[in-house]
Amino acid sequence: MKYAFYPGCVSKGGCPELYPSSVKVADKLNIEIEEMKDVACTGAGVLPQYLSDPINARTLAKAEKMGLPMMTICSTCQGVLAQANYRLTSDAEYRTKINREYLADEGLEYKGTTEVKHMLWVLFEDYGIDNLKTLIRKPLKGLKVSPFYGCFLRRPAEAITPTKESNARKSYLDQIIGIMGAELADISGKGKCCGFPILSANEENSLAMVAKHTGESKQNGANCMVTPCPLCHLNLDGNQARAGAQAGKEIDLPILHLPQFVGMALGFSPEEMSVKRHIVSTSAVEKIVDMLT
Amino acid sequence: MQVTFKVYRKDPEKDGKPGRSNYTVDVPDGATVLESLFKIRDEIDSSLAFRCSCLRGHCGDCMVRVNGSSRLTCTAKVTAYTQKGPEISLDPLRNVSVIKDLVYDWDAFMWNKIGTVKPWLEASDATADAENVIADAQMKDLRKVMSCYQCGMCDEGCTILPVDIDFVGPAALTKAYRFVFDPRNQNAKEQLKTVEGPKGIWDCVHCYEADEHCPRGIEPTKRIIALRDEAYRVGITNEKVARHHKSFAASVTESGWVDEGRLAIESEGLTNVSGLMKLLPTAAKALMRGKAPIPYVHAKRPGAEQIKKIIEKGEAENK
Repeated sequence: MKYAFYPGCVSKGGCPELYPSSVKVADKLNIEIEEMKDVACTGAGVLPQYLSDPINARTLAKAEKMGLPMMTICSTCQGVLAQANYRLTSDAEYRTKINREYLADEGLEYKGTTEVKHMLWVLFEDYGIDNLKTLIRKPLKGLKVSPFYGCFLRRPAEAITPTKESNARKSYLDQIIGIMGAELADISGKGKCCGFPILSANEENSLAMVAKHTGESKQNGANCMVTPCPLCHLNLDGNQARAGAQAGKEIDLPILHLPQFVGMALGFSPEEMSVKRHIVSTSAVEKIVDMLT
Repeated sequence: MQVTFKVYRKDPEKDGKPGRSNYTVDVPDGATVLESLFKIRDEIDSSLAFRCSCLRGHCGDCMVRVNGSSRLTCTAKVTAYTQKGPEISLDPLRNVSVIKDLVYDWDAFMWNKIGTVKPWLEASDATADAENVIADAQMKDLRKVMSCYQCGMCDEGCTILPVDIDFVGPAALTKAYRFVFDPRNQNAKEQLKTVEGPKGIWDCVHCYEADEHCPRGIEPTKRIIALRDEAYRVGITNEKVARHHKSFAASVTESGWVDEGRLAIESEGLTNVSGLMKLLPTAAKALMRGKAPIPYVHAKRPGAEQIKKIIEKGEAENK
């Protein structure tokens, strides 16, 4: 099992704890990853499509040349790449145009065969939950966890690939909480937006969304939240205190990245999963996990 | 089949407080929720208020929440909602002010907002009095958008409206798309400006909920993204957004990837002291927790030169 690993910008920028925890977990599971180092940011839905499609075509072409499927660790990277991939594979004329105008210069051509999968999907669809279960060393009993998917692991339909898995993919994060031995603290906003995309355009609305989701999670008894999207993490963790102040309430909910959560069940210590790098203190989670044997 | 409908009630002529009435009716196989509502009103409670018009899923007037999800009652079959038991809840939409029972304020919900995007065509003077003939192929994309029957399902699904009722919303923005991209429009750039300000296109989080809710497959989110891409192409006028986009594009062009430290600062604006000050507590914590390297560096990626070439070419070709 080998992947062209696309870590994205944030796992090496604003959430530097995500990159090492992902690599450690992949290594523990014997998932072989070859990092794509000479590729661009996806554009993250900020760059217009006429710029992001060509740079994503280049990334997809590079993975194709490596002969490997891609693995992402960010819902946003996943979604933007998958949407570009959909346009490029479903419209041969468009692909030819992009190849000719943007990739030929570098001697590249995208033929349309690269599959892009988030690590969460890899665990369920390629690695297999039965295999994963055999490696659990520390069931995370005592953690009450709310899932938070990040929009692009749920929508749009063509980016979740219209396969028989497409509906199942909408519940993987819910499922993995129980599989790792923790308890699900469900929230109605788990598939909604965290507000990050409008942080600079409309900060008030963005923070209101953070307070809404984390507040609901707290209310439903969660002691932490888990997300496969580092952009959600930036807002839910990094701006939680400001969101709480705006909403007039203290929230104080630790937000874990998916690989950190899985990693702790596989036996890594919270420290080894770099949870101390978060803005909201994770000490409540650490206490529970450290007491588990 | 006996079904109990638990219906949201509110009567401004009484106390105006929200409540719920339960009605148990016998409905035939294949009955729709709307037919059940008629039966309740005719046989049990003539004071129950709800809306409907075309009765065939074409007008959107009868939309309410059936067991929590927005549906047109005229096409929603009762049996589709009774699998867990013979009970169905009916509520008005979430992002609306209710007038009475299931009747809500359409003006505030959608019509006034559609009015703000100037939903009309400004053709050139030369064609003002003449027929403006256009090739069929040029209208292909717009025809899809024009099939919108303004049911408001996209606004119901919207993630922003529950936190900000003044957001223009996907329905009105889709209407703006229909005119901005009309090849006959002589004033597209001005029209684009009507949705570029606060509460417009840049307030959308592009979460694709609207697309999932649209019963016609019009994909309002993709229309909003197209409006944003067009604004980017012709020059964004919303200052805050322009700063953010400019910084984002510059760091990807120069290094291949996003420099988040730079983006946070440049998005606020280098001369915006209060904006920069509010970043400080989080920035200080981030540095303390080792989130950012000290001294701060953002290295160029291998391949950055090629990425720069592609972006510059894309910019030039879409001028």
